[in-house]
Amino acid sequence: MHNAYQALPTTRREFLTWGTKGIGLLAFSQFAPSFLVQSTLAATPTPEKDRSILVLVQLAGGNDGLNTVIPYEDPEYYRLRPTIGIKKEDAIRLTDTLGLHPSLSALHSLMNEGRAGIVQNVGYPNPNHSHFRSGEIWETASNSDQNLPSGWIGRFLDNACGGAPGTAGTGGDPVAVHVSNELPQSFQSRYPQSTFGLRGGGNRNNRENLAFLEKLVKHDDHEANANASFLRATMMDALVTEQRVQKVLGGYRAESTYPGNGFAQSLRNVAALIASGMSTRVYFVSLGGFDTHSNQANNHANLLRTLSEGLAAFQKDLIAKKLDSQVLTMTFSEFGRRPNENESRGTDHGTAAPLFVMGSQVKSPLHGTPPSLKLQKNRDLEFSTDFRQVYATVLDKWFACPTDQVLGKTYEPLSFL
Amino acid sequence: MKLDLSPQAAWQPLPANQWNEDAARHLLRRVSWAAQPPEVARLMNEGLKAGLERLFPAKANLLPEPRLVSNLAEAGPAYYQKIRNAESREQRQVLQREQRERQRQALQDLSIKWLQFASRPENAVTEKWTHFLSDIYVVSHEKINNPAEIHAHHDTLRQGALGAAPALTKAVSRSPAMVRYLDLQNSNKNAPNENFARELFELFVLGEGNYTEADIKEAARAFTGYRVRADGFHFASSQHDTRPKTVFGQTGKFTGDDVIDLAYSQPAAAAFVPKELGKFYLSDSPLSPAYLAPLADWWRSAGYDLRQLAHRVFSSRLFFHPAFRGNYIKRPTQLYLGLVQDLNINVAPYPRHSLNTLRLMGEEPFRPPNVSGWDGGRLWINSGTLNARRQLVQTLFTPVNEENLNADEQVEIVAARAQGAGVFTVTDERIEGMLKNMTPEQITDRFVDYFLPVKVSKTYRAEILAFLSSETDEAKRVARLRSTAITLLQSPEYQLC
Repeated sequence: MHNAYQALPTTRREFLTWGTKGIGLLAFSQFAPSFLVQSTLAATPTPEKDRSILVLVQLAGGNDGLNTVIPYEDPEYYRLRPTIGIKKEDAIRLTDTLGLHPSLSALHSLMNEGRAGIVQNVGYPNPNHSHFRSGEIWETASNSDQNLPSGWIGRFLDNACGGAPGTAGTGGDPVAVHVSNELPQSFQSRYPQSTFGLRGGGNRNNRENLAFLEKLVKHDDHEANANASFLRATMMDALVTEQRVQKVLGGYRAESTYPGNGFAQSLRNVAALIASGMSTRVYFVSLGGFDTHSNQANNHANLLRTLSEGLAAFQKDLIAKKLDSQVLTMTFSEFGRRPNENESRGTDHGTAAPLFVMGSQVKSPLHGTPPSLKLQKNRDLEFSTDFRQVYATVLDKWFACPTDQVLGKTYEPLSFL
Repeated sequence: MKLDLSPQAAWQPLPANQWNEDAARHLLRRVSWAAQPPEVARLMNEGLKAGLERLFPAKANLLPEPRLVSNLAEAGPAYYQKIRNAESREQRQVLQREQRERQRQALQDLSIKWLQFASRPENAVTEKWTHFLSDIYVVSHEKINNPAEIHAHHDTLRQGALGAAPALTKAVSRSPAMVRYLDLQNSNKNAPNENFARELFELFVLGEGNYTEADIKEAARAFTGYRVRADGFHFASSQHDTRPKTVFGQTGKFTGDDVIDLAYSQPAAAAFVPKELGKFYLSDSPLSPAYLAPLADWWRSAGYDLRQLAHRVFSSRLFFHPAFRGNYIKRPTQLYLGLVQDLNINVAPYPRHSLNTLRLMGEEPFRPPNVSGWDGGRLWINSGTLNARRQLVQTLFTPVNEENLNADEQVEIVAARAQGAGVFTVTDERIEGMLKNMTPEQITDRFVDYFLPVKVSKTYRAEILAFLSSETDEAKRVARLRSTAITLLQSPEYQLC
């Protein structure tokens, strides 16, 4: 008889191989660490380096959707926005009724080439107007009345959909990389995942010091607590990954000219890591400042230009490096803004908004339906596409990962992939 | 470690027989930046109750307005006039760029003066407490580009930091930085802006879920007419909505202050600041409602007095329980100011040491990431910020090449030295002194006991001793001792308090 105890795999990779042998794994599931069982339930293939990659671009603060995709034939739009509305003649024409903000010309070119698209009017039921709560809902993919401790990317990784063998402390490629000072809530996972944050200066430690620090970090025989263990695991990972990453970034030669701003430089660094062949599946980049409560016209125009030009440089670089078929980029924001402008020539917190998807696999430029603007004063837009449909599309069609494992239930996927 | 205290017992004073040096170190690491031996000794002398009376006094010291901040504020109106009168677009842009640069420098001056002020033992505890309050009553230089208003806002917090919370909230609602930050500036009776009212309920007094959207819309009307003019806060009564409002089920011609009082009459108000206090000082995981309830009931009956709240929490059995010892991740400002105190050095008056690393570690002074302040806890820690934390320690042991500093920075260095606060790095002389007077065993014990908040094993200690004493070349012993200290301060354990 098969000896279940001895044969139990100890790594995700082993466990997945087991799964393909058709052994009745679930019979032993009470002996197995739960993350391994989860892996099998998800039954995704073992990792390869040329698999699909997702780049998440957070527009922090709440992007004004109605001044991003402009319904310029709708008189309601100009009624709601007498001073900050984008004039028809200024908008970049998309269809007979819709235009893009004039700052988005670079993205518009990508749309014309069939490399970018827009999902319109994305939101969720019973919207929350708090930055933090609504951001949390987006990043954890929860219902409005539900609190989830992990992020949707975190759960994707927990389900071994990330594929990479980056167990904490092994120095393998990180499964997810964020270019921001704080770990995005989307990355919060139930089981330790080797994520990497791209910030921080050079390292002047000599080898001897590093070796000593490594020794101290590996020491775990004294009075431990959860935060101490967490710090040790993170530091071990960081020590190993850091040197590799800095080498990659220092030696990178981009094939396009990235604007000098921090956002574009972050995307350049993401391109460098992708081009280096790391098996990382998810990257997270953030662009802040979208909370435009007053005098928003100039600020918003600048933000959208930064977004558009940064994304275009990134895509051009990927195309030149023949990596574009592997990378999907997607924007998101915690909410859109109130349809009617406020007295400060700005907009207050709102609900649904369009988001961008970019990549050579993106199909046709417009998805979903635009919001109705027949609204009473100070009312919000009614969403028509649930943001989890967008996630489901990415999980299902891009990552081939069972969506209900990550999202809790099945959502109807969209047609942008 | 399990919290084996009943919610009732949790907030009782620590029994006298549990008050010892370990407890004093714990108190100082949590309410101050570090546990310096003279401070520990002083606490042991006076006892916990008297110690807290001193650490949390009736009034916090105020931070004088830094020179560049005053200069900018004084020059401001004339300068804006100049920008308005510019002859061409190009000229205007040049002037605007200049103005932005002056604002940047003034904020830098403010940031460094704050760090210097906060690093002094006599201010450390109240400045951490003010920092805690500023993480509730958030404003950010991201939006408020006049550093004088940022400074004044924090002085408003210092002035009310140890009084009644409702009075502080009312003062904050009139703080020019806050009026601008949460868009009261343009809010009028015809078009009330909801931003302030929302954050008042969500982030200052009650927390999410304890108010309705209708409460916010109505409350926003009560705060109409709040304005900032050149001489500070001004109430524009013609812009104020005097009609009745219905907030939390009560109807009346409420003013902004009335709405704040109404908010504090809600049940959720009594637990809100205690819960935030728990997150800032005790643990990443929020205190459970069962533990918060008795504290909240008491705090309401104490008139929401912030000083009494500090005295009560920081003398409680819960605060000193093993479940809350040595397991809280230091925020970047605490890591930096704690290093300054632990290493007995001074805050350097130029940004390279302090502000640049603080930004990389994720906590740039006066620039919280958003309206709710910093999330903190484990979110401080990732490979990038850990690298920055390590870099900081390295920097504090590396002599400064003063020739590379600009003229302003050199002036600041001279000024700092004149005040006897001119030691910015750990010098070789100090390390040599240590080697002369102490055995490797003594040095190891000193480092471990002084720097680390957790009890380490014998083998950990032995590892350090081995590294320290394995260098036999006399000429390299100083470098080896320096490496040992650096590495220990970079260790995961030193990130905790």
